[in-house]
Amino acid sequence: MMFRVICPNSTSRTTRLSFQGVIVCGWALLSLGCGAGPQAEFKYREATDDLISDAERSVKSTLKDSFGTPNELVAWERFPINYGGIKGAVASAAGDKAVIVTLEGESEKIRNKTPILWLTGSVAGDKTPLVTVAGFNAETKQLTLAGVSELPNAGDRFVVGFGEDLQLGRHVYMKNCMHCHGVSGDGDGPTGQFLNPRPRDYRNGQFKFTATKSGEKATRDDLHRIVKYGIPGTYMPSFLLLGERETKVVVEYVRWLAIRGEFEKRLVAELSSDYSETSIADSVRKAEAAYAEKKKNKEEAEKPLSANKVAKAAASEFAKYSKEDLPAAIEETANLLTDAWTRAEEPDTVIVPSIHRVDDTAESRERGRLLYMSDKTKCYTCHGMTGRGDGAATEDFWPKPGTTEKFANRGLHDEWGNQLKPRNLTLGQYRGGRRPIDLFRRMYAGIKGTPMPAFGGTALKDNEIWDLVNFVMSLPYSSRQPSPAAGGNMAKLDEKPAH
Amino acid sequence: MGRFWALFFIVTAVITFVVSWISPSMGWWFPTDGVAVFGMAQSTLGRKIDDLFYLILWIVSVTFVATNVALGYALWRGATIKPEEKVWFSHGSHSLEVIWTIVPSVILLFIALYQLDVWAAYRVRGFIKDSDGKPKQIVAVAEVTARQFEWRIRYPARGKTLKPIPQADDIYTVNELHVPTGDLVSITLRTDDVQHAFFVPELRVKQDAVPGKLIPVWFDTLVTKDYEMLCAELCGWGHYKMKAKLVAQSTEDFEAWKDKVSEEQFDDGYRKPAE
Repeated sequence: MMFRVICPNSTSRTTRLSFQGVIVCGWALLSLGCGAGPQAEFKYREATDDLISDAERSVKSTLKDSFGTPNELVAWERFPINYGGIKGAVASAAGDKAVIVTLEGESEKIRNKTPILWLTGSVAGDKTPLVTVAGFNAETKQLTLAGVSELPNAGDRFVVGFGEDLQLGRHVYMKNCMHCHGVSGDGDGPTGQFLNPRPRDYRNGQFKFTATKSGEKATRDDLHRIVKYGIPGTYMPSFLLLGERETKVVVEYVRWLAIRGEFEKRLVAELSSDYSETSIADSVRKAEAAYAEKKKNKEEAEKPLSANKVAKAAASEFAKYSKEDLPAAIEETANLLTDAWTRAEEPDTVIVPSIHRVDDTAESRERGRLLYMSDKTKCYTCHGMTGRGDGAATEDFWPKPGTTEKFANRGLHDEWGNQLKPRNLTLGQYRGGRRPIDLFRRMYAGIKGTPMPAFGGTALKDNEIWDLVNFVMSLPYSSRQPSPAAGGNMAKLDEKPAH
Repeated sequence: MGRFWALFFIVTAVITFVVSWISPSMGWWFPTDGVAVFGMAQSTLGRKIDDLFYLILWIVSVTFVATNVALGYALWRGATIKPEEKVWFSHGSHSLEVIWTIVPSVILLFIALYQLDVWAAYRVRGFIKDSDGKPKQIVAVAEVTARQFEWRIRYPARGKTLKPIPQADDIYTVNELHVPTGDLVSITLRTDDVQHAFFVPELRVKQDAVPGKLIPVWFDTLVTKDYEMLCAELCGWGHYKMKAKLVAQSTEDFEAWKDKVSEEQFDDGYRKPAE
């Protein structure tokens, strides 16, 4: 595992990040005096705070070692994040303190005093002192080094200014996004609580409007589009004028926050059934209840352990677990996230219709209408007989996911626990984009984290989805051009669109 | 002590005058960039508005200088008066009162009448003429909806006219208003939530967007370039985010851009599988 501390204007520092006997270290560079301003902190989940103290400490230190703090970011290299920096390799030596290099990408941007990270060769490793750029000639590709004790050999690979993109992403995020989405990306920034719908909590690693198949993560393009064009009907505004590089790096930072959040969530989920205060209190209560029951029936029973003893037992059990199983659990979680976010960028993950959009004719819309009203899709149960998002499902009380307990309010809820209205399809307002392909993808893969199901590949064929898209896209205008074939309730689509 | 205050007020007036006089050459002036004359509006109407502004600036400059000279003289004279000299009281002078009532009234009346033409051009009628002398038609290019905190814009499809209610082939953009350079274009301004104001400083166009109202705003652009488009009414915590771009481009480019956006907007995502 490789962690790199990213921080500007810093002196060299070498640390070994050790974790419960397993050495999970990397080069640590650069700390000291990162940025001014108020100290920002990553918040932990309630479930993390609920763990027994050893487990809590262990999870928190893992997070801190792997992701750092907002002011001292740590790049965990295995994740598919573009941390930034210019990669290159040494071509030949040129004097005492200079080398001729070959660089990937633009080379004229190298500033003096930028730290250099050696990836291979004898100078690589966490024991070598910090080397910085003392000068760079873009024409001769001569890189002059400062702080170098031993010249690198030809072929050694390096990164100049590793982590610059993530840092800039953090900067852009703190300026534009943090006050709604929060420092940790938990959707709980200072203004977040006043908004409806609530800002996205990235920590589930889930985004609603994606081009990817059901169950897959969001692509960079998806996030890029959302940052650029905003989400109409919500408080997510358009950041069109942010600049291409800023948009790119802030997307990278959001992906990083999402990975950090989901890593914490999954790791804690692994532990909390055995090592949380709540689960221990539960088991004690259950044991005592069982004991009381047996006593009442005058059966023979052993007195259950006291809460104190159970807690002590759990602590010692955790000590064993953390030595034997925890590193594997961390490894597994990290692998899972790496795979998921890598897969999201693969072309096969993106939904591409197998056929062109079916011609938007009255017949196609009518076929779409029949599908809308059919029991195959059950669109009408949520979006309503008239498409206004007032289906019968909005009147029911629904159970919380994974439990039998019901939500306090009527209507549908998303996985973040927010009450959710099915979209009013007559308004012509499309949160995930108004291109036909956007609607196609919404129906194909559903809206992630919401009750909107995925129809693609299984329930509906691509041509059927296109019929539905044609029908749905006609709804905002159908009061003026009523479909002659439309009968029943759907003929009553007479509401004027808002705009 | 009297002399100190006399000098203080004289020097203050002189500094104010000098700073105001040099400010255009220092760049402390109206926003523009890339034009020959610094601070010049980039729209026909904007230049007329500037003319009015300069007229009023001249009137107040003359008034400012005259009153400050009088003030300086009075203070200095009062501070240096000899004990045996007799003081002249102006209080209650009928002729002075008549003068300072009639002169400003005439000036104000003149400004009120003189600006009517510009006001009419801004709010009531078109104002630029074609090369053959006929007044140019106002072209409705888009509906601009302000909301917290962005501008959402709806254009009619190429070759169609803007309808008050959305049409299936309308084109949508956000934070980017495109207009053809040189045409007298109008937008329908509305707001989804609170009060906003549509403001393009370089064109001198500013209009509040009022909830429940559709407000037409028309203007022309003289130069093909990107202009800053802002919200000029404190509309909430994200007011500063409502910065957008007004892109003035040639009619051909404008139509071509419409085609491009329309094609993207009606993209069905189908791509021929690679062989």
